[in-house]
Amino acid sequence: MNTQLIEQIFTCVEFGKINEASPYPATMKGQPGSDELTKLALEQGYDPNVILYDALIASMNKVGQKFSENKIFVPQMLLSAKSMSAAMAHLKPYFSSGAVKRKGTFIVGTVFGDLHDIGKNLLSMMVEGAGWEVVDLGVDVKTEKFIETLKLYPDAVVGISALLTTTMVNIPQVITAIREVSPATKVIVGGAPLSADFAKSVGADGYGRDPQEGVQWLDKLAS
Amino acid sequence: MMTHKERFLATLANAPVDRPASWLGLPVPAAQQGLFSHFGVNSIDALKLLLDDDIYPLEVPYHYPPSNHIACAFKFAKVNHDDTPDERTLTAPGFFEDYEDPADVDKFDWPDPARYIDRNEAAAMAKAIDEKYARMGVMWSAHFQDACSAFGMEKALMVMLMNPEMFTAVIDKITAFYLRANEIYYEATRGYLDAVLIGNDFGSQNGLMVDPDSLRTMVFPGTKLLVDQAKSYGLKVIHHSCGSIYPIIDDLIELGVDAIHPIQALAKDMDAPTLKAAFGGKTAFCGGVDAQHLLVHGTPQQVEDKVHELKELFPTGLIISPSHEAILPDIPPANVQALFNALTI
Repeated sequence: MNTQLIEQIFTCVEFGKINEASPYPATMKGQPGSDELTKLALEQGYDPNVILYDALIASMNKVGQKFSENKIFVPQMLLSAKSMSAAMAHLKPYFSSGAVKRKGTFIVGTVFGDLHDIGKNLLSMMVEGAGWEVVDLGVDVKTEKFIETLKLYPDAVVGISALLTTTMVNIPQVITAIREVSPATKVIVGGAPLSADFAKSVGADGYGRDPQEGVQWLDKLAS
Repeated sequence: MMTHKERFLATLANAPVDRPASWLGLPVPAAQQGLFSHFGVNSIDALKLLLDDDIYPLEVPYHYPPSNHIACAFKFAKVNHDDTPDERTLTAPGFFEDYEDPADVDKFDWPDPARYIDRNEAAAMAKAIDEKYARMGVMWSAHFQDACSAFGMEKALMVMLMNPEMFTAVIDKITAFYLRANEIYYEATRGYLDAVLIGNDFGSQNGLMVDPDSLRTMVFPGTKLLVDQAKSYGLKVIHHSCGSIYPIIDDLIELGVDAIHPIQALAKDMDAPTLKAAFGGKTAFCGGVDAQHLLVHGTPQQVEDKVHELKELFPTGLIISPSHEAILPDIPPANVQALFNALTI
């Protein structure tokens, strides 16, 4: 089987081409997007695993790298994530049947007391684009909510975000509670005022300076 | 010895000063009691006097409940929230979330600032401040951030690329609101105001949120109008943006801003030596004393050392101030004291 469609889906995700109706990017106006091309690929018998790994995950990895290097910015990344989601919707039945497996489950939320979610949302999109199932708990997430959700997904990795110096200090309480109920659960933290030193000092297993670092850390766990 | 205002103006002009200019910033209510206890005062005015602070910020008296704050002038969010500057949300779905036709911009009930700004109160507030201070109107006029909340931030950022005409229609209406609001305020305070603080957050810790070209096309035209308007009243313009904004500092200089605030010291390329090397003498800065780590976790000696470093780098051209205007309660007052002590020793 040729790989032309895979390359086309890869390009659509990289440049944020969602579907034929989408006017962005201008250079691809009127062309099919990841939505139509993924549907077509499945109809033509492409292996959904190949679509997921060689087109979607590979492309989102490139997007994350470009974002990390300030070659693209949040709007471009959001449209890439939209394009990825449009393709992913066609793969849902294969996830349900077990024909395609995700790398794991990632529970993520902004720590209690903190209402900021842009960075956390970008991370969620990138992690989903890397082939993980994401359970996004939103903002101002109480410790109990993290614990309840972890009970539903006992093998999940947990991500905790904070933007403010006054709220990052709430993170240790969440980590302590997680350790009490599930000592083996891996926890990664991130957010503007955080650092690797802070992560270490509060007992987190990982720290992500940006979404791409978070994804790379998660992928190491999954490998 | 220079007056506060002379020091402020000389700093903006990169001219010699007797000591570095300073700005305490805007301590949030939860931080004020700790500062008052530490310094033995009972008001922000008394604290500023004690610290020999140079800038006196003036809020716009804007009577639009429940926030009564001009930064919350537009009720775009489709969700209930407390609607205060701290609680407002940029990311919640906004009024224009599902609109695509620029002609629909008038479907929103745009507020008339003339109904909510108290001219007499604005004049009285400005006249009450000693003219030796650099009296700075805290206008914000955050047309980009408001445009983000008009759609919901993620949607807005995508609309910038997918439907720039729609984004422009909305941000232009917001800019028009601020131009009218500022006109009312500047007229009311004419002769009693020296500077204004305007701006939007364009940066994250690691870089710009939006590509420079989109900012230049859709956001900076409004910034230019706001800057030119302030200049037409003889006011100096301090432009605020949190985060890493190095790639657009030349743009801000070109737009005519007099100082760039708050130079978030730990953000990418925003450390003082980098800014001095690239922009020293071309503009002035305000901020620079890191409020993400140093002021929160550092010792008073470390804070003093940092201020001495900044003084050496910027004998003028820098108003020394925390790198976030809102002093939060996790900053020990002893570190605020250390910051101001180091200005004169």
